[in-house]
Amino acid sequence: MIERSTFYYTPDDHERERASNSYLMSLIAIIGGVPLPIMNLIATLIFWMGNRKSTYFVRWHCTQALLSQLSMLMINSTGFWWTVSIVFTEQEITNEYLAYLAFAFVFNLVEFISTILLAIRTRKGIHSELWFFGSLTHDLVRP
Amino acid sequence: MLEGLFALIIMGGVWLGFNQINWMQLFGVKEMTDKTEQKLGDLLWDFQKRTGEILDDEPGKEALDSLVWRICEKNKLDSSHFKVHLFNTGDVNAFAMPGGHLVVFTGLLQKTENASELAGVLAHEMAHIENNHVMNKLLKEFGLAVLVSMAGGSGGQQVAEVLRMLSSSAFDRSLEKEADEYAVHYLEKARINPESFAVFMDEMAKEEPDELKHFRWITTHPDSKERAQNIRAHIRSKKRSYQEPLSESLWQDLKALGE
Repeated sequence: MIERSTFYYTPDDHERERASNSYLMSLIAIIGGVPLPIMNLIATLIFWMGNRKSTYFVRWHCTQALLSQLSMLMINSTGFWWTVSIVFTEQEITNEYLAYLAFAFVFNLVEFISTILLAIRTRKGIHSELWFFGSLTHDLVRP
Repeated sequence: MLEGLFALIIMGGVWLGFNQINWMQLFGVKEMTDKTEQKLGDLLWDFQKRTGEILDDEPGKEALDSLVWRICEKNKLDSSHFKVHLFNTGDVNAFAMPGGHLVVFTGLLQKTENASELAGVLAHEMAHIENNHVMNKLLKEFGLAVLVSMAGGSGGQQVAEVLRMLSSSAFDRSLEKEADEYAVHYLEKARINPESFAVFMDEMAKEEPDELKHFRWITTHPDSKERAQNIRAHIRSKKRSYQEPLSESLWQDLKALGE
């Protein structure tokens, strides 16, 4: 899920802190009591935009954080609107809905733990890549 | 690209795997929903009771129960689920409420010519209850949040609104049609002539305002004439021998309740 690899240069302390903060942004949105699915993405997106002209290490991790939040946005938005339709329309609670909630919960938990691990590792200067999102980030971010 | 595809397969697999678990049973969702429906039905009936005279304890009312019981028995329906109430008012009406409450107005007894016609209306309302049309309609109109809060005892104003809606407005076209078709099926199995139900709808059609007939295509509720045609179209065994579900004396006793 999370692969440790070597970055082509050693980032300084300031870079490590900024890169680590990109992961913390999505967690802050959750801790801040805004569980709406879009909030994590907005927080990460704002941070990504603020660091577009930063160093390669920072840009790389900001992009990986943003991409991983995008996947969660899709999963959580589906769950959010499904729930809204049950509470406010004639839709009923079904086994498929409950299975989806369980599925979304597991993925959110995995994402939450991964984000904490990434924030810690990045702060220590250890370059870690998420499975799939790491490769995608390499394609999108150039030195 | 391959990693992305693999990720999607894993996600789909996890969801499909979770789908194999019976979450409804695990969380007791069915029991909770039934309990909410029961509470809501009792709440609405308590409110309805206060608006007029109930004839549930009158001797002739047993005939009404026996009609429902006969339909249940022949169709293998749980008769304990239906709570039939007779309400003394001149309106020609019968309606279903959550929790299996079925309210019949004495005006309907006066309007129907025989017990088979009345059985048709009862079978129609029973079909609404059996097919969960009542709760679906309430969920559509008010939403789950409002209904749960009402069942919890809050929202007196809304209780009156829900009751008004259930007693005065029809279900939409497809649900009324479905209930009519089920009613024909119930009646046939109970050896009660469904043609009487169609005749009753024809009678009701005569009293509908003419203006409404010209706008049939835009109304969401089917008119009585259309319903009568649909009922006749679904009668399968026209040559079957039917029985009058109540003896003449019991029928007269029942009719006498509203006089």
